[in-house]
Amino acid sequence: MDAASRPAVVIDNGTGYTKMGFAGNVEPCFIIPTVVAVNESFLNQSRSSSKGNWLAQHCAGVMADLDFFIGKEALSRSRSSSTYNLSYPIHHGQVENWDTMERFWQQCIFNYLRCDPEDHYFLLTESPLTAPENREYTGEIMFETFNVPGLYIAVQPVLALAAGYTTSKCEMTGVVVDVGDGATHVVPVADGYVIGSSIKSIPIAGKDVTQFIQQLLRERGEHIPPEDSFEVARKVKEMYCYTCSDIVKEFNKHDKEPSKYIKHWTGVKPKTGAPYSCDIGYERFLGPEIFFHPQIYGSDFTTPLPAVIDKCIQSSPIDTRRALYKNIVLSGGSTVFKDFHRRLQRDVKRMVDTRIVASNARFGGDLKSQPIEVNVVSHPIQRFAVWFGGSVLASTPEFYEACHTKAEYEEYGASICRTNPVFKGMY
Amino acid sequence: MILLQSPSRFLLQILQDRVQSPEKGVDLDCHSVEFGDVRYHIQISMKKPQVMALSVSLPIPPPEAIFYSGLPVGAIEAIKAAYGPIVQILDPPKDGYNLTMKLYLSKLPSDEEQRQALLVKIASVREVVLGAPLRVVLKNLASKTVAPDVDQLVALVHRPEESFFLVPQTEKVIVVYPMRFQDSIDIVLASSFLQEFVEARRTAALNNAPPCMWSPSPPLELKGAPAEALTANAGFVTFVIFPRHVEGKKLDRTVWNLLTFHAYVSYHVKCSEGFMHTRMRRRVESLIQALDRAKPDTEKMKKVVQGKSFKRLSLKEARGS
Repeated sequence: MDAASRPAVVIDNGTGYTKMGFAGNVEPCFIIPTVVAVNESFLNQSRSSSKGNWLAQHCAGVMADLDFFIGKEALSRSRSSSTYNLSYPIHHGQVENWDTMERFWQQCIFNYLRCDPEDHYFLLTESPLTAPENREYTGEIMFETFNVPGLYIAVQPVLALAAGYTTSKCEMTGVVVDVGDGATHVVPVADGYVIGSSIKSIPIAGKDVTQFIQQLLRERGEHIPPEDSFEVARKVKEMYCYTCSDIVKEFNKHDKEPSKYIKHWTGVKPKTGAPYSCDIGYERFLGPEIFFHPQIYGSDFTTPLPAVIDKCIQSSPIDTRRALYKNIVLSGGSTVFKDFHRRLQRDVKRMVDTRIVASNARFGGDLKSQPIEVNVVSHPIQRFAVWFGGSVLASTPEFYEACHTKAEYEEYGASICRTNPVFKGMY
Repeated sequence: MILLQSPSRFLLQILQDRVQSPEKGVDLDCHSVEFGDVRYHIQISMKKPQVMALSVSLPIPPPEAIFYSGLPVGAIEAIKAAYGPIVQILDPPKDGYNLTMKLYLSKLPSDEEQRQALLVKIASVREVVLGAPLRVVLKNLASKTVAPDVDQLVALVHRPEESFFLVPQTEKVIVVYPMRFQDSIDIVLASSFLQEFVEARRTAALNNAPPCMWSPSPPLELKGAPAEALTANAGFVTFVIFPRHVEGKKLDRTVWNLLTFHAYVSYHVKCSEGFMHTRMRRRVESLIQALDRAKPDTEKMKKVVQGKSFKRLSLKEARGS
């Protein structure tokens, strides 16, 4: 039976979470943290003792190269025993550690999805700024280790746009604001092609929100055990954070009715087992606020996200700008804060309107420019929009023709993965 | 992970989600494919949130394996015995599937542990259905009842259009796997893996494990098998199962491990390829380091690399660097 008759496997490896599943489904089968817990204790032994090493491992009931865990299991294993070291293979949207990445994929395929990689086409994703070498590397691993029959490496923002495509209208032009855990990109796409020269990225992403919340909690003197504080901050971010419309008003609201706004967090100290609790107040709206007022987080980067989006559109070709303003698509886990899209829409709109008023004033009323429609699109599947777009794309018959096949790989080598059709001539 | 687990992770996750939060009001309709071309289709409609329809499609059987109305021999009895009243088998099954079952989630036992055990059992539906004939043979072995078809070759499907063979005898069951792989590298790795596997069986610690043999040509037990079943590019593996390997609780594990032996070998071949890559990378890195050490002006290079692309320099810093 042909591999093309089976659904393709779609894996979206993000900095924070990996989404994986089969094409044609609405939801990914698994969403797990992108983390590997490795046991390095056996690996560094010298080769001369390899026979004894083998026996020692056998008696311990482990094989060094198979003794690792991924996802939630990895987190719990590393907490309970000290033999495992946590390794995060992806940093800022780029794969840094190929060894652990390969192992991560191996477990994704064999332990989670439990499929035979030779039976399925694969769709993987990458951030728009990935170097061609990295793409080659990915292809090499997929074809050499896993023997996949076909591989397509898609660009995340295009998939995010494709996800919106089915929920609303047939629109492949838009700006994708992809705020993940480790990287934030603003990517303009015109008719399905990425405008490579106008991609903007900012160094503030989900992890920074977590760190900021952690810092706020620490400075206020909440009693959270230090080894747990990052995890607690992450949970607080995921459960309680929201975007406010005006930071001053929000402070007033909190001060007037603290009982309504302040939440409580209770946990158990991992070492002693003693329970503790802390209050969560201003963090709830100050966390997401760093996208709009980056100066409250650090002095390195001070351009707010709406201004970056505006700059990105202004640097795109002039004939696409109106269409781009009309379709600003959110994707990634860090855009699901309540009212995030409203705030973004308002801020971008305000910027555009002041520019129009200024230009109208300059021409003194002779020329009236048409008002520009600004639309920030938000949909319920925003958290795994990229995965969903991949699932939609991979279930079309054209997908199988666009894939790099194993025969091509064997004929030409890893360089077939170098070029990406959506950039057309960029590399 | 060294052995493949019997319950399907995905199925188990869906079942647990449903049982823990039954009020979650969404329709569910999803597909999943496992190794050996076993497909699942899960449907839950909003109208009846307590009823889950689970369809399973099995690999296409080769001509020598006996299927009875789309299912292996004894599968229906095995399903009834394993799940009892919570499962209703629909006849005929959904189009394109071999088996469709209705699961009544409301009939699950209320006891936490029992319920969990039953959910795991449902998630292992593959083992129950595909392993049914194997289980019958091994049960006969355990109870030492003489089956009517002693010394006859039994073919069981484990991959699309591929089967493995059982020779049931009164004191033992011989299991023979023709091993086939597609990729040329896989064939080489698998053959040497299997030879190592046989070698490893000889160590003292594994004295009680089933004896196993590997040979590049078909063993004598396969005399009656059809010719196309006798072509295998990675040799033939033979296990001899004695009654002590199928006593009591060991039976389930033995059934599963025998059923997925090919997948097990294929998984380990892939793992060793990955491991070789790791070592190759390490080697390249060490060679590059040696090259770097030989360069005379490494100091200068470092300064250029340091600049982070995201870091905004203030005017003073920019001038300084």
